[in-house]
Amino acid sequence: MIEIHNLRKEFALSKQQRKELNTSESIATAVDDISFSCKPGRVFSLLGPNGAGKTTTLRMISTIFKPTSGSIKIAGVDAVTHPREAREKIGFLTGSTGLYARLTPNELIKYFADLYKIPKKEFEERKDYLYTLLDMNHFQGKRIGKLSTGMKQKVSICRTMIHDPEVVVFDEPTSGLDVITAENIIELIKNCKNEGKTVIFSSHIMSEVNLLCDDLAIMHQGKMLYNGEMSTFKSEMKSANLTEEFIRIVKSSNAVEA
Amino acid sequence: MIFTIFKKELKDTLRDKRTLMMMLVIPILIFPIILNVFVSISSSFSEDAATKEINIGFVGTPDNYLLKQIESIPENLGEKKIIIYSDSSALKRDVKSDSLQVGMFTSVSFNDNLTQKKPAEVIVYHNVTSVGMEQRGRVYVDIVKDIALQERYLDMDLKESELTPIVSEYSNVASNKEMIGKLAGGILPYIFIAFGFLGCMYPAIDLFTGEKERGTIETLLTTPVARWQILFGKMGVVVSSGLLAASAALFGLFLSIEVLDIVENEELLSVIHGILNLKFVLLMFGLLFPLTVFFAGIMIPVAVYAKSFKEAQSIITPINLVVILPAMVGFFPGIELTPLTASIPVVNIVLATKELIAGTLEFWLLGISFAVMIAIAVIAVFISFKRFDKESNIVI
Repeated sequence: MIEIHNLRKEFALSKQQRKELNTSESIATAVDDISFSCKPGRVFSLLGPNGAGKTTTLRMISTIFKPTSGSIKIAGVDAVTHPREAREKIGFLTGSTGLYARLTPNELIKYFADLYKIPKKEFEERKDYLYTLLDMNHFQGKRIGKLSTGMKQKVSICRTMIHDPEVVVFDEPTSGLDVITAENIIELIKNCKNEGKTVIFSSHIMSEVNLLCDDLAIMHQGKMLYNGEMSTFKSEMKSANLTEEFIRIVKSSNAVEA
Repeated sequence: MIFTIFKKELKDTLRDKRTLMMMLVIPILIFPIILNVFVSISSSFSEDAATKEINIGFVGTPDNYLLKQIESIPENLGEKKIIIYSDSSALKRDVKSDSLQVGMFTSVSFNDNLTQKKPAEVIVYHNVTSVGMEQRGRVYVDIVKDIALQERYLDMDLKESELTPIVSEYSNVASNKEMIGKLAGGILPYIFIAFGFLGCMYPAIDLFTGEKERGTIETLLTTPVARWQILFGKMGVVVSSGLLAASAALFGLFLSIEVLDIVENEELLSVIHGILNLKFVLLMFGLLFPLTVFFAGIMIPVAVYAKSFKEAQSIITPINLVVILPAMVGFFPGIELTPLTASIPVVNIVLATKELIAGTLEFWLLGISFAVMIAIAVIAVFISFKRFDKESNIVI
């Protein structure tokens, strides 16, 4: 379960950033007072154009960033006051996630298992399960730098899931991946849902959203424009399809601001 | 947790060819190469200059006393060919162009002056760029001077001792170890410091900037490990790499002396044997440890701030100069470890090592040096921690 209340994140802008953004403001608000909740066994999708604040929101949920104000609860743990305890319950994956090229999958997975303090027996069982599920046994001893993109993605998934997290955070997980590699991620999200995990993911790809999500939120310029169930969203749509409806909502928000 | 991160980062670092090159291969090779080049060049220069056949140009009458005496100097002092010149300008021109190695100009009254017990003047031309030729000319003239002096004593019925009211002798009481320590001891800490710095450089950039560039830092930050633990684990590897590079340089020195037998000079060998002992190595690394922590503490904030490997490298490389320049103070004789110099970072390490090699190190000054280095290392670590804790620095 993820519970977010009145979440806000401000960044101090450097001179260079002010120049690039053509603003005199010294502070930029990346996330502006948003609230939502993601339930176990359901997939929550965070949608929004570039710069909407999706990644910042997911980084705050993952405790990489500290919120300026507001609260985040991860499986009952206050992620703002107890970030380390919250991190034990989170698995985090992005499309741009890198791996240590000079390590083998075995070494990398063991390293992360050690960081999560997984007992040896539990680790071995979990590793065997994931290696079989992801068909990783035949390349477990090769250096990651020598693996194909698909194999690397499987290692990333294994790394994310090795501690069997209650909450899984995906930030544009299929971005930049080919269709076959992206399919691994789609399968992973479905598995997580079936296992009763709480899943939150951000995406630009509407077909993925349509296929996977149970709940969705649309963000734009740090603000929440829509938050509700996918079925309700579809029934209330004023456009022909999801993509057009998404564009309509974002554009109407721009028009209101103007 | 710190050790888990340290272990993984060390393994990762030791598999990086570029880091291995800077950390182990080059430091091991540096002493054998430097010593080999230095020994072969200096020995070939000195042997060459003392014995090779040289052309001596001479301006003077054919019966000139100096000319006759030089001609009779035995060939075991070096072969020579004497060429008679009629004027000094041609003589100087040929010395300058190196077709003559030594030129001697005497006046027409040279022999008369000698006969009349007056000083007879000779001008010796040499080209300072021809190594050892001034010495060859000086040796010939001094031999003839001695012969002429003895003849004059005999003529005047004088004893040399009667004309020498005070006999002075200058005796050096410094041991060879002290002399080499004070005069050449600067090079050793300089090389250790330089490699300590270079050894830290690549791992610092790779483990911080590289991790941002590769997109691995985010996943690390989402594990239940405190940022200070991540920082200390990585910093441990940066410091170890600096120490490993310095150790590799020391191992290279050991190889040159004990295995490759590059140095043949007995005195120099005995000094080097004297310093290659456990006490020296322990004290040396005692000094190098806070220094490499300081280096790591300087580099990590830069590596954390930089957005690319290239940017980090372009900032850290000039810092290298700032560190290496004070280390050069060890090359200047006369600058010693005092309470003031012991308070200057890097300079104190160089001077303390020099004194350590010379066997003249005062331990209270070592204490000041150590305390200063620990203090700035702590400050550097604190700055690293503050930078690493800043959100905008750790995620691109």
